[in-house]
Amino acid sequence: MKTFLLIITTLAITSFASSSKYEQQMLKHIEGLNKAESPEDFQMLTNAFERIAKAEKDKWEPLYYGAYSTLMWCYRISEIPEKDKLIDQALEKINTAAELDPQESEIVALEGLAHMTRVTIDPASRGAQYSGLALQTYGKALALNPKNPRAMLLMGQMQYGTAQFFGSDTSEACGLIEKAINEFETYRNNNPLAPVWGEDLAKAALSRCQ
Amino acid sequence: MKIGSVFLIVILVSSIGWGQSQISGTVTDKSGEAIIGANIYLDGTYDGCSSTIDGSFEFNSSEKGNHILIASFIGFKDVQYDIVLSDSAVNLNITMIESINRLEAVVISAGSFTAGEETNREVLKPLDIATTAGATADIAGALNTLPGTQRVGETGRLFVRGGEGAETRTFIDGMLVSNAYSPAAPNTPGRNRFSPFMFSGTSFSTGGYSAEYGQALSSVLVLKSKNEALLNRTDVSIMSVGGTLSHVHKGDDWSVAGKLGYSNLEPYFQLAQQRIQWNKAPETLETDVIFRKKYDKGLFKFYTNFNREVFNIFRPQITRADILDQIDLNNQYLHVQGSNEFKVSDKLKITSGLSHTRQNEVLDFNADAINEHHQTSHGKVVLDHYINEKLNLKSGAEIIHTDHRYDYQTTESGQLNYGQSIAAGFSELDVYFSNKTVLRAGLRFTSDRLSNLNYLVPRLSLAQQVGKNGQFSLAYGEFNQAVRPEYLRINQTLDHEKVRHHIASYQWIKNGRTFRLESYDKRYTNLIKFGTENLNEPSAYTNEGEGYARGLDLFFRDNKSVKGLDYWISYSFLDSERDYLNYPNSAVPAFASAHNFSLVAKYFMQDIQSQLGLSYSYGSPRPYNDPNTVHFNSRRTRSFNDLSLNISHLLNPQVIIHASVTNVLGFDNVFGYEYATQANNEGVYQRRAIRQPAPRFFFVGIFITFSKDKTVNRLPEL
Repeated sequence: MKTFLLIITTLAITSFASSSKYEQQMLKHIEGLNKAESPEDFQMLTNAFERIAKAEKDKWEPLYYGAYSTLMWCYRISEIPEKDKLIDQALEKINTAAELDPQESEIVALEGLAHMTRVTIDPASRGAQYSGLALQTYGKALALNPKNPRAMLLMGQMQYGTAQFFGSDTSEACGLIEKAINEFETYRNNNPLAPVWGEDLAKAALSRCQ
Repeated sequence: MKIGSVFLIVILVSSIGWGQSQISGTVTDKSGEAIIGANIYLDGTYDGCSSTIDGSFEFNSSEKGNHILIASFIGFKDVQYDIVLSDSAVNLNITMIESINRLEAVVISAGSFTAGEETNREVLKPLDIATTAGATADIAGALNTLPGTQRVGETGRLFVRGGEGAETRTFIDGMLVSNAYSPAAPNTPGRNRFSPFMFSGTSFSTGGYSAEYGQALSSVLVLKSKNEALLNRTDVSIMSVGGTLSHVHKGDDWSVAGKLGYSNLEPYFQLAQQRIQWNKAPETLETDVIFRKKYDKGLFKFYTNFNREVFNIFRPQITRADILDQIDLNNQYLHVQGSNEFKVSDKLKITSGLSHTRQNEVLDFNADAINEHHQTSHGKVVLDHYINEKLNLKSGAEIIHTDHRYDYQTTESGQLNYGQSIAAGFSELDVYFSNKTVLRAGLRFTSDRLSNLNYLVPRLSLAQQVGKNGQFSLAYGEFNQAVRPEYLRINQTLDHEKVRHHIASYQWIKNGRTFRLESYDKRYTNLIKFGTENLNEPSAYTNEGEGYARGLDLFFRDNKSVKGLDYWISYSFLDSERDYLNYPNSAVPAFASAHNFSLVAKYFMQDIQSQLGLSYSYGSPRPYNDPNTVHFNSRRTRSFNDLSLNISHLLNPQVIIHASVTNVLGFDNVFGYEYATQANNEGVYQRRAIRQPAPRFFFVGIFITFSKDKTVNRLPEL
């Protein structure tokens, strides 16, 4: 019996060690995202997150960051078919992540970003289809977590773009972006790997409002 | 002892991390080219890296013992190696093989123009059809700006590559639609009955199409209706020619949409002078109902369209303009269809459908009355079977039954009628040799139960990608189509008309620019032929006609060079002759112009939230037959020119104002001449030019959307 307990304890210790290794590896690559600039940087990070995702099949974070990295990679290339392929890949990861945790607002918000990225490729022809989809998805993310500052910011940006397109009032959009900034300051998540990006983007977006 | 073994485990566990093994090598594809950015890792661990610019990779791992090394890269099959890790280095030269991906693979494009939402390889977008200036949201009008089509302004039909208008057939969700055009006064264009806003995908094939489609000699227009409604909305439009009211209601997995439309050209004709003397301007009542339901493994769609149109005109006789003939028309049309898509498994999809179209047209010409009743039923089942990565088999069967009745009360009266059942089956195999080479081989069998004749025809096409952005395509096919009702109702033993297509094309698409060059050769046989006498006798009609059409189509589209500007240019060259109908010899048919050119441009002006559209079309002179000359079809009209403009202005997100004018410059286009059947006293056949009913057509409409979502509007539709 004692032996058994010892084995359990040992296993628990080793698995704890590997869990912290998970965190440690994840944090290292998340840090990498902040420094990455070239498409190659993001490709390497996408691969790195994919490796972790393959080893940790029940965790949504590596899929989330892999998808995020893929979208950032997409913003740094210019060929339209390649961009579409990357968005497809990001969505594949997002869908798998959403299956692991259907209630995670962050994953849904990232899905909205993927649709929004689709709009940026060719707003004239894709806006009609994907801007509605993006807004709908951000709405879903906020329904899951009304305090998610990223969902707020992205929705505000989408509304801002739409209002600007139609030449209508941007105050509603700007109000939402401002709200997102306040939320960024106070919003805390217990998960050390939860996404934190977006505050700088929100400030930049707000400066366009003024 | 037991405790000892536990310690041993702990020691073993913690000893990992001391000795590191180095794993390195290169990743290349089959041809030896370096693969950059492949992901190489030890399965189940975090250890790995990406291959660099020369395809090399190198990483260290503290793992020991047996492991699986995986190399993965998008578009290639994963490669696995069993390796044993010790302190010595492992070196691997990895060769990766491209995986075949149906979405990535080259698409057979010979002869076809597709407009869809899904891929970026589409030449056109669904929107393009609705926003083409001069087309006034008519599907056929917009497709008429593509190469391979001839401008035949007096019909509004799609005349493709030396084929007649009736040689183009329309399909909605795979189901045949008969009488797809609304009626119009003699020698004025009819419109395609279906609104382009209903469809998410349009595929317009100008030849060499799939064995799935039969009963079309020249072209198929395949329309795919939208799979789902996005949200609840109500739309109202008020137009210079009428108005529509539509509503969409969306449930969880279903939606229902209804539309009511009324148009009356009377007020417009009061304002804009017409060359036609209208006693009663065209008046149309139209309703549409669409129901869609998604279920576990499938999707069901129901669609119905009812349309009633009446008009009455006075028409001067050719020889005496002071004598007016009166033409009165009453046309009722109903199309109903249901279709179902069912995924049996990941590998098998069954699509089935039933459709029914009926049209009743009463035409009074002075005291003569003609009542033509035409109805078509179509049942179809298609099995789409994914056999493996390289093979896909599509097979299907269908029955098309037509009942036709023609009552006439002229100097004599009587009835002509027939019922025709056509049963057909097809099978088509797609072979993906690689992502760069795809072959499609099909066979189609048709059995006509009316004439008791059977047909077996092959279809073959091949697409080969060249370079990163280009592709060559070849297509070959034989096609047969039952003769038109006006001949079949007299002689029911007539053979199908036949044609053989050969197509070679090159297409290049890169970042918003598309270029396509296509050449074709068509051989017609079995065409209907008759003389000038006993036209009411079955024996007057034979299948001895024949003809050919060959030519070159050119297409260029660019939405990249100037911001906000999107334009396309089409040019078609056609060389065609036929010896059919009442032709005394082989001659260029009256609908065939040698050169057709179109320029379509759309420019979005952000500052004033408006889209401007412009279309210019040119058609070279068309032949017409002057009975005063010896040679048949030897005279030529003047060339056709048209410059049309439109503008859509977004007043606010819910309201759009749209205005368009066709033939801004007022070109006096002449499509041909009608001649008197008898020569006058001087022995001359008098004539009358077939011209546009008015030099220009003006249209103004206001479109309002009511929806909870404020950003929804109809801009995407205008």
